[in-house]
Amino acid sequence: MIARAALIALRLLPVAVTVVLVVLIGQRAGEFRLDEFTYVAIYFAALLGLNMLTGYNGQISLGHGAFMCIGAYVAAVAVLGRPGLALYGHHPPDWLPVGDGMRPVFTIPLAFVLTGAVGFLFGIPALRLAGVSLALATFAMAVSLPAIAKKFENVTGGGGGVNLPLPHTPFGWDISTKRWLYYEAWGVAAVLFVLSWLLVRGRVGRAWRAIRDREVAATASGVSPAVYKTLAFAVSSAFAGAAGALLAIQVSYVNPDTFPISLSVLLLASVVIGGLGSLSGALFGALLYEFLPIYAQEPPLVHFAFGKQAPAVVFGVLLILIMYALPGGFAGAIRRMFAPLTRFLRERQNTREPILEPARRGEA
Amino acid sequence: MKKTLAVMACCVGAAIATLSSASAAREGAGSAAATPGVTKSSIVIGGTFPLSGPVSGYAPIARGMEAYFNYVNNRKGPDGKTGIRGRKIVWKYYDDAYNPANTVQLTNKLVLEDKVFAIVGTLGTEDNQAIRPFLNERKIPQLFVSTGASYWGLQYKQFPWTIGWQPDYIAEGRAYGQWIAKNSPNAKIAVFYQNDDYGKDYLRGVKIGLGAKKSLIVSELSYEVTDTSYASQIARQKASGADTWVLLTTAGTPTVRAIATAKALNWKPNTLVINSVAATDAVMAAVVDRVGADFVSGAISSAYLKNVSNPKYANDPAVKQYRALLAKYGPSGADSNNGFYYYGVAKAYDTAKVLFNAGKNPTRASLMRAALNMNWTNPYAIKGVKDKTTRSDHFPLSQIKLARYTNGTFTEFGPLIKGR
Repeated sequence: MIARAALIALRLLPVAVTVVLVVLIGQRAGEFRLDEFTYVAIYFAALLGLNMLTGYNGQISLGHGAFMCIGAYVAAVAVLGRPGLALYGHHPPDWLPVGDGMRPVFTIPLAFVLTGAVGFLFGIPALRLAGVSLALATFAMAVSLPAIAKKFENVTGGGGGVNLPLPHTPFGWDISTKRWLYYEAWGVAAVLFVLSWLLVRGRVGRAWRAIRDREVAATASGVSPAVYKTLAFAVSSAFAGAAGALLAIQVSYVNPDTFPISLSVLLLASVVIGGLGSLSGALFGALLYEFLPIYAQEPPLVHFAFGKQAPAVVFGVLLILIMYALPGGFAGAIRRMFAPLTRFLRERQNTREPILEPARRGEA
Repeated sequence: MKKTLAVMACCVGAAIATLSSASAAREGAGSAAATPGVTKSSIVIGGTFPLSGPVSGYAPIARGMEAYFNYVNNRKGPDGKTGIRGRKIVWKYYDDAYNPANTVQLTNKLVLEDKVFAIVGTLGTEDNQAIRPFLNERKIPQLFVSTGASYWGLQYKQFPWTIGWQPDYIAEGRAYGQWIAKNSPNAKIAVFYQNDDYGKDYLRGVKIGLGAKKSLIVSELSYEVTDTSYASQIARQKASGADTWVLLTTAGTPTVRAIATAKALNWKPNTLVINSVAATDAVMAAVVDRVGADFVSGAISSAYLKNVSNPKYANDPAVKQYRALLAKYGPSGADSNNGFYYYGVAKAYDTAKVLFNAGKNPTRASLMRAALNMNWTNPYAIKGVKDKTTRSDHFPLSQIKLARYTNGTFTEFGPLIKGR
């Protein structure tokens, strides 16, 4: 029983540490740090979704920036509504239920649902593709979506984009706007984290992993790849949609250039660096995604001669180094660090109650 | 495992309970006395630029500004002190890769972490649009944006802390329209423009300039920045029987590709008009490489700054001084014939001047007052072009001259045209 409790504690530890850190930063940090960590929460949410698709289900998506784009536009259009768009001289067609403007925070679930629906629809044909072909199909989406957004100027504001009203703390709460945005983003990230944890640890996660590892064997065991793959696509794009909505609220501006192809590619790179098939990996990926490009421009310790071109170079070199040194990403490295302890505890536990533990390698 | 979930929920719940009570008290603290970014010995200003990515060709603007500020920090000003009244200009700029989301985040960094006095010269219409509400809400000057959209100057009632710099696209387009209406009143005009706010501003200007002769336009087609071929549009423009071709494109690939496509289709309009942003000597040299000098000889464009690569200005004192300061303070190996360094230096000249005019103890408000009280000649601009602003005129540079492309360079001709 002690061994079991210790195992649970060990698994809870990263969550507890994260929660404490998030609260501490929320209370102590100045405006700019808050701003930075708000972005971390946003990318964390997106990477959680991508991780379920790529890490747990083994489908590669090079198009998650496009799903963020959809979520961001849903939020922007819903916040502005018909009157807001009219200020820009844009008049969406009458059949489109644009509404008359919404409180930003309520657009997040809306973006979650609508982007999830798009992801579901995209997942159906995507089922017939696998591996590289699927990656290319999603990549095509990332390439074409900004152009589509430009085309439907009456809804999206076209190339010139639209400003959302500057964010303000709602409900008359007495905290600064930056702090509110911070808690809003981390609140959403926390909900999504719990959601993905519930999905991954149970029957769905087992099915996803089974399909990833041996699709034929999974089918033979009665798992329907069609259902579970589409589900993975829908859930993961819903996460990206919520992240996109958060981004739109945070930046308070949306246009097609906000979602370049590099966004999708970097998201995939970050999820790999963080650690595929691990929920905490998404957090490491988000930290890297946020801080590396900013600090690579002004490296704190070394001064690069290639100056302002460095971000891409540093990111690339680091990606190679990490793949070489840490095949499981940051999360994998940490898991290996604690492996002796975990193994010891598991053995103690298994002497009393044998459980099929090997299948659990997908959790952190 | 139900237990695990319960514990997690407790953690989160406890966390939220503590934060909601504790954090509220600390808001709004901090000293109100000093002006951000201004100390006894320095003034910190900053902006964002595409230093990487598809439009990184504009990066020399930031570096030209850097060179000029370094120069100011080392020369004695009108009051006999170096820098701005004894304060050194600290110029901070970051790479936003032309992505408005990055612009917002990095401008936040400039404002909240680097504590800049003002945002200066940030490049891109959309990028500036994205940060404009935030800067205005915080009453932070957004000076001399590097874009010629008309609304920087027009929407000053709504955004009083924002001001443009270069002549706006509508004004420039209008000059082309007027020139065509006057010089070839029976022209058949085909307009080829970039399908965004930039291209549409120009198009609007051309139509305003044509006025009653708007019907001379026989074809009006656009391209997307992401298009890889313009063949179908340009074939249709050729078929329209147009003899005057107005190109409203961006520098580099689009301009070169459009003209090369026309040549490939054997279409040679009598008159070619190219907007100033697209038609630099360097771009034209690339065009000549592809289609030969004949095709573009006599092309019409416009200018408000001296053309550094024109031999006419080889001995101009301002241009000579520019070359010297770029060699001394600019990045090593900088090509002084690149007009974007020159643009940066010209913009930095006005920036230094308004910083000086903001007074001994500058505040953001006094800087804005100085920026709205400009009345001088920028030595890097064409002779006669004035830097002039008033409370109701937020267009610092608003005069242009038409220019004609001959012997591998643009030379301005005709009278100064008032844009506003």
